[in-house]
Amino acid sequence: MIKEKKWFPVIYMFLVTALLSSIVIGFTQFTSNRVEANRKLAFEKAVLAVLPGLSDEKEKATGLQLHLRFAEKVNEPDDYSAGAYTLIGSGKIIAYALPISGRGFWAPIKGIIGIEADRKTITAIAFYQQNETPGLGAEITKPEFRDQFKGKVMRMGEKLLSLERPGTKLDKNSVHALTGATQTSTRLETIINDALKKWQQQLGDGLDRN
Amino acid sequence: MQSAKQKVIVEGLWHNNPVFRQVLGICSTLAVTNLVLNTVVMCVALIFTLSLSAASVSVLRKLTPRNIRMMVETLIIAFYVIIVDVLLKAYWPEMSSNLGPYVGLIITNCIVMGRCEAYGNSNPPSLAFLDGLFNALGYSFVLLIIATFREVLGMGTFLGFSVPYFSGPNWDKWIVMVMPPGAFFMLAVVTWIFRSVQSRKEQS
Repeated sequence: MIKEKKWFPVIYMFLVTALLSSIVIGFTQFTSNRVEANRKLAFEKAVLAVLPGLSDEKEKATGLQLHLRFAEKVNEPDDYSAGAYTLIGSGKIIAYALPISGRGFWAPIKGIIGIEADRKTITAIAFYQQNETPGLGAEITKPEFRDQFKGKVMRMGEKLLSLERPGTKLDKNSVHALTGATQTSTRLETIINDALKKWQQQLGDGLDRN
Repeated sequence: MQSAKQKVIVEGLWHNNPVFRQVLGICSTLAVTNLVLNTVVMCVALIFTLSLSAASVSVLRKLTPRNIRMMVETLIIAFYVIIVDVLLKAYWPEMSSNLGPYVGLIITNCIVMGRCEAYGNSNPPSLAFLDGLFNALGYSFVLLIIATFREVLGMGTFLGFSVPYFSGPNWDKWIVMVMPPGAFFMLAVVTWIFRSVQSRKEQS
């Protein structure tokens, strides 16, 4: 009987593996475009969210609509914007959307911060990838937290923007950190400040060159 | 036959509940139960994986050589888990990033391997499917209880909607419930209550 043969387990394992993996490979291929599109769309959505007038929390736009809007309105980063995406209206830059990323508590946090044409005032902040603790650190993606950034101004000096303990009095350069998520908050503060400082420096270099 | 089915159902849900009786699958019990929505998705993923892998192992049970059966089981489980993972990534990317690595970790969830080994290996496919299904449901209802308490007490919401009183100013949110230690407290309390009920019933 075939089952008693010494080589049977090897062949059997080989066949089962081949069968199951070909199904998985086929399935992954079938959805790969969609997965890739989702990843891109998450990024584009975040960029649209921080540029003024390009998105509305309440509107129910489809992924395709958002993608087309991104392609139409948003300009890719160039030398002058120092890595930031830009929104241009009547020949002038209206706002910048600067990608930021860095280490979160569990995994990298990636987001976009929007800056007005004066290069000082924040329009908004949005995140497209994070893996913070649900209910605590992950609250950075909620409007209650993100809306605080609107209209804040970068200060001169070490910390351009700061996240203060919840309950403390705020000035125009600071927002409240998240309750119960000190790690996420301090890391996010670093991410934001590092990115903004680097951006300002590169902008400065750009100006010198021209 | 009817009684065999009933026995499988009662065992999975109650007498031999995977969480508070067998104490299996604790990793995900602790990790995903701080929001009810995440828990629901995790439970659905486990129900799918566990019932289908137990059935598949059972279909192949007469053919699979004894000495490599664990390898085959792991392979089958991984197959179903990857399907779930890819489905989530493609059609519900937000949830996929919320659950992070935990969907993939269903592969190593001891409940799945445990049921395949203890039941699927030696019983016909329909019963193995039922056994997997009801063990997964037994896991799910315990998780949902834990998640409900954690989300309501810790955040004042249920499925993301505010709960009256608990979201108000008179309720000081128990942040610890949403953090990992809260999961241990809740699991211990739930296990304690269910086991006390069980032992009381056995005595009477």
